[in-house]
Amino acid sequence: MTSWSTIVRVARYHLIQRPIYLSLPWALTIFSLAINLVIASQTPASNTGGLLTMYSWMFVGGLLSTTRSFPFGLTLGISRRSYYLGTTALAIILAAGNGAVLSALHALEGLTDGWGVGLHFFRVPYILDGPWYLTWLTSFVGIGLLFVYGMWFGIVYRRWNLTGLVAFLAGQMTLALAVILAVTWTDAWAATGRFFTDLSAAGLTGVLAVLTAALFAGGFTTIRRATV
Amino acid sequence: MTTSVPTGGAAAQAGPAADPSSGETPGPVAVSVTGLTRRYRGHLALDDVTIDFGGPSITGLLGRNGAGKTTLLRLVAAQELPSQGQVLVFGASPVENDAVLRRMVFVREDQTFPDFKVRHALKAASWFYPNWSDAAAAALVEEFELPTGRAVKKLSRGMRSALSIVIGLAARAEVTLFDEPYAGLDAVARQLFYDRLLTEYAEHPRTIVLSTHLVDEVAGLLERVVMIDGGRVVLDAPADDLRGAFTAVSGPAAAVETLVEGRRVWGRRRVAARESVVVGPLDGVDRLRARDLHLRLETLSLQQVMVHASSRSDGGPVESPERTNA
Repeated sequence: MTSWSTIVRVARYHLIQRPIYLSLPWALTIFSLAINLVIASQTPASNTGGLLTMYSWMFVGGLLSTTRSFPFGLTLGISRRSYYLGTTALAIILAAGNGAVLSALHALEGLTDGWGVGLHFFRVPYILDGPWYLTWLTSFVGIGLLFVYGMWFGIVYRRWNLTGLVAFLAGQMTLALAVILAVTWTDAWAATGRFFTDLSAAGLTGVLAVLTAALFAGGFTTIRRATV
Repeated sequence: MTTSVPTGGAAAQAGPAADPSSGETPGPVAVSVTGLTRRYRGHLALDDVTIDFGGPSITGLLGRNGAGKTTLLRLVAAQELPSQGQVLVFGASPVENDAVLRRMVFVREDQTFPDFKVRHALKAASWFYPNWSDAAAAALVEEFELPTGRAVKKLSRGMRSALSIVIGLAARAEVTLFDEPYAGLDAVARQLFYDRLLTEYAEHPRTIVLSTHLVDEVAGLLERVVMIDGGRVVLDAPADDLRGAFTAVSGPAAAVETLVEGRRVWGRRRVAARESVVVGPLDGVDRLRARDLHLRLETLSLQQVMVHASSRSDGGPVESPERTNA
């Protein structure tokens, strides 16, 4: 069985590489914010996609956690299950921590009227536009989702190499296409739009949480037979 | 077991060779492998291997490149999964078994490290091995002159090997597996490794399996020799029994045949009318006859034994005892 202390040790094992998981995502996010501040000071108030920096880097973090760090993890006598659970613990820590900082910055941006230049960097209409706790929850789920998604990509790569990665991507695109076609053929686009509008940010967060759980389960079944 | 080596003369052949892996320790043997097979897309890397590594011992896992040494070690360490057969470590499957895995260390020859500095790798190892010795690690780092502040990926081949050696020894795991740990190390550093291995082993006995093809260099360390070829165990014997156990008889083919008639022949090479044949130990009478027949006798080193055991072209005789016993 995997003990809690092993899970904590695996998370610590990852955090030896602080640049990947902590410094770099924030450095990139702050850099993106700085660029957007300069732009916003010269142009009318606007929304930016700058926050995507943080989220995409979390995907990369998940990817690295199961590719480069995995073989040495097994060498250190960690079972695949423990490794996966410990890495998921890291995802939860990062999602909670980064989510909290993002929420604080979100609040600060609101208080300063967009850093004095009307910039909407941390505030995103519809998704990140509610009270602080909902902002935190949505950030938490969103970051967790991308990290766990990245982990699964990494494991697929470890287990089946590039061929597997291409097949994995192709499978997802096929699935997405199937959904789009199904919605089109049933003339359900309007209904789908209404569904998401009615869902609100809280409901959407719930849907994302379910998706995260599914990705978690997928990654877990994949890592169980991964070899190095 | 597959022990199949002639021991000390014709008279001694009546008794079976001592098997170092059975009955020495109470409880389950450290590592027990049964019918282990691993196939890769039509290539048979390991073919029905049955072998035990038990009790404190140093075993040399010898064989050519691609013989299946690394595959066997990876399977024992649960880094690879078998196509068929079973691996038991301390009586339980090591696969997904944290309790077993933390009692075993296996650093691969081509180990991939995360974006770590040397000291990070050592620090991480210290978290996961219950018997880890910081003092031993520090001493080894100093002796191998490892730069602890340097990124692992910037280390030379030899230094990376040294790092693997430090982890493997300082972990003090009950089962310690080394896979050609000397790659890129110079002769001085290799000697240092052999010395430290023996010191560590003397102070903290454990089951050590060392895969290597620098046979003669490690011959003095080994208590037991297991040779793998083509995914099969072709030889498994106490190292002492192997030293001087094989003799190459060479000379005119007819004379050679006269001498070796009725003996098991382990290897045979023939050029025109001259022949060289590897046989088990020869006693005094045999040697006198050889002299009368004007034959040349040469005792084989462990390395030469391996060459003969691995020569697939005429490897039939060597593999046959394995097949009949398995």
